[in-house]
Amino acid sequence: MVILGEPMEAVRSVAFGFMLPAGAALLPEGCCGAGSIIADWIFRGAGDKNSRQLSDALDGLGLHRASSVSSSHITIGAALEADNLTQALDLYADIILRGSLKEDQFELARQLAIDGVLALDDEPRQKVMVKLREQFYPSPLGRSTFGNIDELKALTADKTKQIIADNFNLSQTIFAVAGKYDFNSICKQIERLFESKQQPSLKAIKLRPKDTKYTHLLNDGAQVHIGLMTATVKPADKDYYNARVAVSVLSGGMSARLFTEVREKRGLCYAIGARYHGLKEAAGIACYAGTTPEKSQETLDVIMAEFGRLSAGISEEEIERAKVGLKSTLVLQSESSSSRAGGIGTDYYMLGRVRSLDEIKNKIEATSVDSVTKFLRENSFKDFAVVTIGPKSIDY
Amino acid sequence: MEFKKKILENGLSIIGEVNNLAQSAAVGFFVKTGSRDETKQINGVSHFLEHMLFKGTERLNAFEVSEAFDRTGADFNAGTSEENTVFYAAVLPEYLVEVTGLWIELMRPALRDEDFNIEKNVIKEEIAMHKDMPGFDVMDKCQSLHFDRHPCGNSVLGSEESIDNLTAEQMRGYFANRYAPNNMILACAGNFDWEQICSIAEGGCEQWQKQAATRELEDVPGSKKKERIEKSNLSREHICLMSPAVPAKDGRRFAASLLAVIVGDDVGSRFFWELVDKALAEVASMQFGAMDGTGVFRSYIRCSSENVRKVLDTIRGIFHNLSKNGVTKDELKKAKNKILSALVIKNELPMGRLADLGFNWIYLEQYRTIEEDISAIRAVTIDDIYSLIEQFKPGDFTQFSIGPAQSS
Repeated sequence: MVILGEPMEAVRSVAFGFMLPAGAALLPEGCCGAGSIIADWIFRGAGDKNSRQLSDALDGLGLHRASSVSSSHITIGAALEADNLTQALDLYADIILRGSLKEDQFELARQLAIDGVLALDDEPRQKVMVKLREQFYPSPLGRSTFGNIDELKALTADKTKQIIADNFNLSQTIFAVAGKYDFNSICKQIERLFESKQQPSLKAIKLRPKDTKYTHLLNDGAQVHIGLMTATVKPADKDYYNARVAVSVLSGGMSARLFTEVREKRGLCYAIGARYHGLKEAAGIACYAGTTPEKSQETLDVIMAEFGRLSAGISEEEIERAKVGLKSTLVLQSESSSSRAGGIGTDYYMLGRVRSLDEIKNKIEATSVDSVTKFLRENSFKDFAVVTIGPKSIDY
Repeated sequence: MEFKKKILENGLSIIGEVNNLAQSAAVGFFVKTGSRDETKQINGVSHFLEHMLFKGTERLNAFEVSEAFDRTGADFNAGTSEENTVFYAAVLPEYLVEVTGLWIELMRPALRDEDFNIEKNVIKEEIAMHKDMPGFDVMDKCQSLHFDRHPCGNSVLGSEESIDNLTAEQMRGYFANRYAPNNMILACAGNFDWEQICSIAEGGCEQWQKQAATRELEDVPGSKKKERIEKSNLSREHICLMSPAVPAKDGRRFAASLLAVIVGDDVGSRFFWELVDKALAEVASMQFGAMDGTGVFRSYIRCSSENVRKVLDTIRGIFHNLSKNGVTKDELKKAKNKILSALVIKNELPMGRLADLGFNWIYLEQYRTIEEDISAIRAVTIDDIYSLIEQFKPGDFTQFSIGPAQSS
């Protein structure tokens, strides 16, 4: 296990996360959604505590739980007042290493996971982005973290236990902490709680490319929800910062191109935006827009035109605004212990090291009109994965 | 932390809490106006007006406004509720003066017809978007049902019809009265120079004219009606429950927040153990909403159609038990710990601090330190909670559901 820490002078809180290599892409075939069961099941009793006692102990520390399932990890952690950190880590060691994993509790966790997938049908805005990642990324990177109903129904407690045994691999786990804490005592405590012999690495995943370009899912709702995504460089790439600045020119603030062209000038949408979405193995720029059916074709056309127009030229002012925006977001986020803990953990996973805030600032600062346009010309947006959900499909 | 305050002759309150250790600063205008201050004819105007403030002034067009914000790297936005419209930004300290100057300028917008007409489309798209968010839709409809004919039940977004019929002239009239300096405050939190902010605020705002901006304040018991509508494209049942609670000014607001956590926090609450842990409902939460002169407990539950009856029976059981036995010492202690740590974490960010600073001034005309809030939360007893339950009877609620067509 790697232990990462970033002290923060001005706070009384501390936030931590265990990044366990059990994300959706790392699960065996046929187990889509197991991560969402696991993230629930492991909290239903651990060590010498039953579900209720464990929950009471966590709540007694005033701890705010944060669990998430991504393509690469199940991350479990919390934000809390600094004085309670030691006790919280003891409880998390039980949750990770000594979950009760009772069969009756498995059934309940599975039912909630199935309900979560069904609830997604009522949230087309969210569902369109889940479907988009599924379609865009080479399989299994874009697998739904919510799950697949048939596969969830077929999962057993034994099979899921096996996944926990295989994927809660401590040698590949990253522990990140930020805020107010004492690093030496944390290291000692984590060593005492988690020290074990080296575990063999998980098998590398095999990627299978996707070739679907457009999917429409019929939903008799008020809007057509449009998701589109195109490939760009990965977080470890030398052009990563050029890509981030380019996305920011496209959709960083209210003066960015998508907001101006789609919403301000034409009134086509309320919600419109694009952002960088990076995994270690692949990355893309993902864009969402929601619009009433009669405007959906024009919305897609204007968005595509803006992607196309980007490499034709960017002004100095646009680049400056993009850079200031990115740097400012970085500093504003650095004031929150939770986002700092998340940031250093992700850095280590993606890059094998943690970038300092100054390094990031300097690299953003080093981009220019020339470097961004050169990057865009060398990496033009060729193929788009497009998904729509709504009463009407569009031509793509 | 140091509290500062200045009230201009025209009634504009300028308040600030300086924290030189912060990495950033936050600024906001809190305008005491929202959908409850609207008539049916102009329903949705507060929210539409919030959008229009970004469309510029006599000097700046919409794009120039956006550019001006983005040049500072501000994390900025605005929001409208039933009773407040808040414009806020978090920035690096060196940009605070610029952003504050910009907000001051925007508070006197041009409200041009052509901008109004384009933005109408955006507002209608926002209404359409929320129709596809049943979790939001059900809360909105339940609030209307609960408040019945009282203006607190007005929809914040308005309806497609009210927005279609709204004119720029009506909006200008509403603006002139509601965005009066005596009906708004300017607040700052974090790392900033108070004197500097004061001097640009004085220069920019002192010519604004005082108005008689008032609001009808009457407490509302709630209709306790039950309604359900069907939507063929839904797969889940979305249920909202609403019952009366103490107003924002009432000292018992801390007890009300604690009760909501005990009953309906995401984890470890009574709803959690009886509904979510047992997989009867996928989501079940309750919040306390403090308002001007009134207040509500709001619950949201999402479950399958098959489980609706069982879920509602269970909820009745939970509220019955509460009115009979109150809450336990242990429950209260856990709820306090949760609220206290959330308070500490939220207030570590200038933006989080700005919200508390501004709303305390809006509702209480009072500065409260974090420590004062912490003490008030610590002081709540199980008897305080019990008397709230006795007086407000949270089990006697208004109920609105949206769900798929029933097969029977």
